[in-house]
Amino acid sequence: MRLTYYMQQRIVKRLIDVVMVLLLIVTLFPIFWMVFSSFKSNTEILLGQIPFGKAGNDVLYLEARGRSLYAFTSDGGLNKFDIDSGALLKHDSVKSLATSFLADDHNVWIGTSDKGLMQISLDDFSKKRGFPVDIRGYDINKVVSTSLADDGKYIWMAFQQKDIETVLKFDKSKRAFVGEYSFESALSPAQATSLLRDGGLLWVGTNKGLVALKAENGEVFKTFSLGSLGLPPVDIRDLAKHSGSLFFATTRGVFEFSMSTGRIEKTLDSKSGLISDRVNRIIFSGNTLIAATNSGVSALDLQKGTVRNFEAAFSPVEGSKDMNKLVKADVFGLFEKDGRLLCGASSGRISKIGLGSFAVEKTYTARDGHTVVRWRNYVDLWKNINFGLYLRNSLIICGITMVLAMIFATLAAYALARFNFPGSNFFSIGVLATQMIPAIMYLIPLYIMFTKFTLLTGVPMKGTYFGMIMVYSAFFIPFSIWILRGFFAAIPVELEEAARIDGCSPFQVFWYIVLPLAVPGIIATGIYVFLTAWDELMFAWVLTNADTMTIPVGIRLFVGNYQNRFDLMMAAATVATIPVMVLFFLLQKHIVKGLTAGAVKG
Amino acid sequence: MKKGFWNEIKKYRIAYYFVLPTFLAMLTLHIFPVFQAFYMAFLKLNQFTISQYLMAPFVGFDNFYQILFNPESPIRIGLMESVRNTIIYTIVVTIGTTAFGMLVALMVNRKMRGQNIFRALFLFPWVVPTYVTGLLWGFMWQKEIGVINLVLVDWLKLLPSKPFWLLGPNTMWAIIIPTVWRYWPLSMLMLLAGMQSIPEELYEAAEIDGASGWRKFWSITFPMLKPVWAILLLFGLIYNTYSFNIVIMMFGFGAGYPGEWGDLMMTNIFRNTFQQWAFGVGAAASVLLLIVMVVIVNFWFRFYQKAEQESK
Repeated sequence: MRLTYYMQQRIVKRLIDVVMVLLLIVTLFPIFWMVFSSFKSNTEILLGQIPFGKAGNDVLYLEARGRSLYAFTSDGGLNKFDIDSGALLKHDSVKSLATSFLADDHNVWIGTSDKGLMQISLDDFSKKRGFPVDIRGYDINKVVSTSLADDGKYIWMAFQQKDIETVLKFDKSKRAFVGEYSFESALSPAQATSLLRDGGLLWVGTNKGLVALKAENGEVFKTFSLGSLGLPPVDIRDLAKHSGSLFFATTRGVFEFSMSTGRIEKTLDSKSGLISDRVNRIIFSGNTLIAATNSGVSALDLQKGTVRNFEAAFSPVEGSKDMNKLVKADVFGLFEKDGRLLCGASSGRISKIGLGSFAVEKTYTARDGHTVVRWRNYVDLWKNINFGLYLRNSLIICGITMVLAMIFATLAAYALARFNFPGSNFFSIGVLATQMIPAIMYLIPLYIMFTKFTLLTGVPMKGTYFGMIMVYSAFFIPFSIWILRGFFAAIPVELEEAARIDGCSPFQVFWYIVLPLAVPGIIATGIYVFLTAWDELMFAWVLTNADTMTIPVGIRLFVGNYQNRFDLMMAAATVATIPVMVLFFLLQKHIVKGLTAGAVKG
Repeated sequence: MKKGFWNEIKKYRIAYYFVLPTFLAMLTLHIFPVFQAFYMAFLKLNQFTISQYLMAPFVGFDNFYQILFNPESPIRIGLMESVRNTIIYTIVVTIGTTAFGMLVALMVNRKMRGQNIFRALFLFPWVVPTYVTGLLWGFMWQKEIGVINLVLVDWLKLLPSKPFWLLGPNTMWAIIIPTVWRYWPLSMLMLLAGMQSIPEELYEAAEIDGASGWRKFWSITFPMLKPVWAILLLFGLIYNTYSFNIVIMMFGFGAGYPGEWGDLMMTNIFRNTFQQWAFGVGAAASVLLLIVMVVIVNFWFRFYQKAEQESK
């Protein structure tokens, strides 16, 4: 079948359309990728994970009240189940980092690294209140975990972060942080990994040992280093008290510490029958120690020494691509009620186990963690590197440069476009010739000139706004003249001649007749100069200092210092791009007209 | 004669007033430094003699000798590679930008719906600052985590294994492609404006004569656009030879050495000058670069004028 000419034309047209759209997609993809990556965490980028990640929903804390089962997950998720039917009654999320939980009569208290301490009412998760933490050296990204302890009146909160050895005291009735207890001691530097409030003392489990603080004034009462206790280097991840002894849950098993003798009495690990050495949490049920480990739950009768292990409840979640769900469950949350043990494990898995039978009676599943879009990258950008300063410097330098260059160039361009004065040809060739000289040829002498000038006169040049603006203005004048000439040439001479006949002086002609007509062209050229100055790296690199650094220099410096923080790099790139992009597309028509007018005339 | 000259000057007094500020600015910040740079090229100006400024020891053509003829000179390390890279880079980028700009300009110059939107969207890369371009593509070229290897190897399976883009000869591609990506919208814009000024009657006449689309392009569009693409080629040659930002931001993430296949003249001179403090040598190298550039531009004008005369 032969296609008609018309059909052929249409097919070709469609094909070109398709190619054009594909090209557009390929062209815009890098920009999209830059913005997209700036909202991901660096770990996701380094793992090559394409979609936005979900926050882990490991069940950290369980609480059963009447018919309700509360399960709190590591992403700040709050789940309320009906304990009998297993139905999820209510779900909410505070979307937090490094989370720990503590429930009292009416509220659940959430310790987070990014939102401080939060209070949420237990019955319907409705009333949320946040109490931000503001202590020296505190960095939400460096906090590994938080721990909470309470005694009815106060809540204590500690952070596992390098260089922070402080326990915060929060008054529940005043609803405010009322004290900062430092646990700096012979163990320093130590990082708090667990807390226990008992008697008049506050026990802080650290990665170096145990510190006891007096609860009322925060004095360091006693310290026990891991070495003096005869323990290997471990983190004390949980503390529990049972019949005069303190029990440490660590990564090498559970240790019983006698408060009276100050010595380790007993070691309970895989040799004594525990399912694993890595213990996350311990509770007691009568004389039975129940340990949540990284591969299941063990119940150990302290008197008889018998152990019952349980792992079947946490078989892999079927049909899941999530790595976490395929491995054995890491158990974090434990709650014992009426002979039933509730276990909360990784990836939102919760099981109810009969303590007598050690068989699963019911399972629950907490809601998935929230999708993580990291707006925080932008906050970090402002905090970690002085981006606000760079932005301000860039705006000041580029803005004033734009104005100055436009004043100079407008005058010169008008003179060159209208008057054929002696030397005008020479001048316009000179203007064009400067475009041919490599920038570094000005830069080397200017750099030495600036240093020398400051030495001779004491007036600072290098690293000042004035020096940068002067250099930039001079640098962009020739190009501006070249574009503006086209604009002035396009304004009809007859207008000016008429004005002259009416008695205007040459300057009045320029001021009242020509200038108003040329304003669109001047604005377009000005914006173009602004964009080019915004883009300039080499001069700024050499001629600015820490106080007057512009964005390109700042980014270059930052990129050198944070080699692998791609998330922050892309956030910085986005912030540097967006202002110019907006500016350009607001004034796009003018700029395009201005640029092409010069080009088409040749 | 003399009186006439003064009269001329008096007549154009206002023009001189207008030009004067620019003239002074250019004198102090263009002409004065450039002459200094020429003079510095003959001085032994380094970190020891920088305080003497222009009184530094005069060494004649020694700096040029070190650059051009002394293979043992420390300045020579990487210089020849950077010259080779700059030549390849400049030619490929200049032709690539113009050709690609021409292609897209032809596409968006057709009558279609949403023409303005397409034109605006195609301009996007040109608004991205060059240092961001370098940073962004440096991230995209990464071997394991870069999206380019992800698409080419993991998704499209065009290559058997993930190559290093920022190491070895592949580096040439890694610096050429981002530059073309950044600059072709400008070519497109210029060529599009040129295309719109070509009278429609020419195409109508060609259609009556039965010319194909291809023929119309070669016989009408391409020659009619000559002033535009000739200027684009010239400016492309100049700017790409002096290209700096993209390469300096792409490697070692900002601070490192681009490697023997990624180093350009400007990055080389900059490194020698401001990191090894060899100002005299830097000035000499930039003088050499300028001389080469003047020769190229001169050739371009000759070629352009000759072609212009032939067409007339």
